[in-house]
Amino acid sequence: MMDRTGLEERIFELVSYIAVSARNLLEEPARYGPLRLVDTASRLIDIIEKEGVASKRLTMIRQKIEEGKYTAMGTEEEFQAFLESLVLLLVEQIERESE
Amino acid sequence: LIDILTVIKGRRSVRKFKPEPVDRDILMKLLEAAVWAPSGGNAQTWRFVIVTDKKVMRKIRMVSPGLLGDPPAVIVIAQDLDQAKRKGGKMGYEALTKMDSAMAAQNIMLTAYSLNLGTCVIASFHAASVGRLLGFPDSIQPQLIVSVGRPAVDPSAPPRQFEEIIWWESYDG
Repeated sequence: MMDRTGLEERIFELVSYIAVSARNLLEEPARYGPLRLVDTASRLIDIIEKEGVASKRLTMIRQKIEEGKYTAMGTEEEFQAFLESLVLLLVEQIERESE
Repeated sequence: LIDILTVIKGRRSVRKFKPEPVDRDILMKLLEAAVWAPSGGNAQTWRFVIVTDKKVMRKIRMVSPGLLGDPPAVIVIAQDLDQAKRKGGKMGYEALTKMDSAMAAQNIMLTAYSLNLGTCVIASFHAASVGRLLGFPDSIQPQLIVSVGRPAVDPSAPPRQFEEIIWWESYDG
C-alpha cells in the first residue's frame, strides 16, 4: 500500500494556505484574490504530479501559471492579460476533450 | 563598495530562491542593519525572530500566503505593543511601530542586496497565528516578514514615476 503521509501533509499545507488566504483577503488588495486562486491551482497540480498523476495539459497549465502569476504585481492590464490567456489555454483543452 | 543609490535601484522583490542556506553571520549582519534604522521617538520596540529551521519554516509558510519561493531564511519583524504604548502613546502604538518595522525591513533588504542576497517583504500572513507559532506573548505583534536567500530569478524592475509625482515648494497636481 502506498505511503500517503507525504500526500496528507501537502494537502494539509494547501488547505491551510487556502483558509488563511480566505481570511486575509477580507483586508488585502483585491487582485490578491485571483492571485491566490491561480496559485492554489498551481499548487494542486504540483501535489498530484508528485503523486504520479501527471498529464501534459496539467503540466502546461501549471507552467503557464508559474510564468505569469507575478504579473499581479505589475499593471492591471498585464495581470488581466495573463488571466485571460490562462482561461483561453483552458478552453483549448476543454475543446479537445470533445474531439 | 556599491554606492547607495545603485543598491536602492538594484533591489528587487525576489519570490524564488536557491535552496542553499544563508550563513548565520550574514543573517546577524542583516539584523545589525535593521536595528540601525530610525525609530520613532527612539522607542526601539521592535523584536526580531530569525527562522531557518525547516520544520518551523513549514509552519510559518502555512499561515503566510504571501511567503513564496521557499526561502532558506525569514526574518519576522515584530513589535512590543505594550512597550510602544508606554513609550510612544497612541501615535507610537498605532503608527510609529509600523513605520519602524518598515524602515528596519528596508535596511535588511538593502544590506542583503549588497551581499548578493534576494529578499521580499511580506505583509500577507496571519499575524496572530505567526505570533502563536513562534511563541510570542499577546503583547508582541508580528508586523512584517522578510524572506532571505540566494535569488533563483532576476526580476525586472517595474517602471517608476518621477516627474508626475514631485513638486517644488507647493503641490500643483
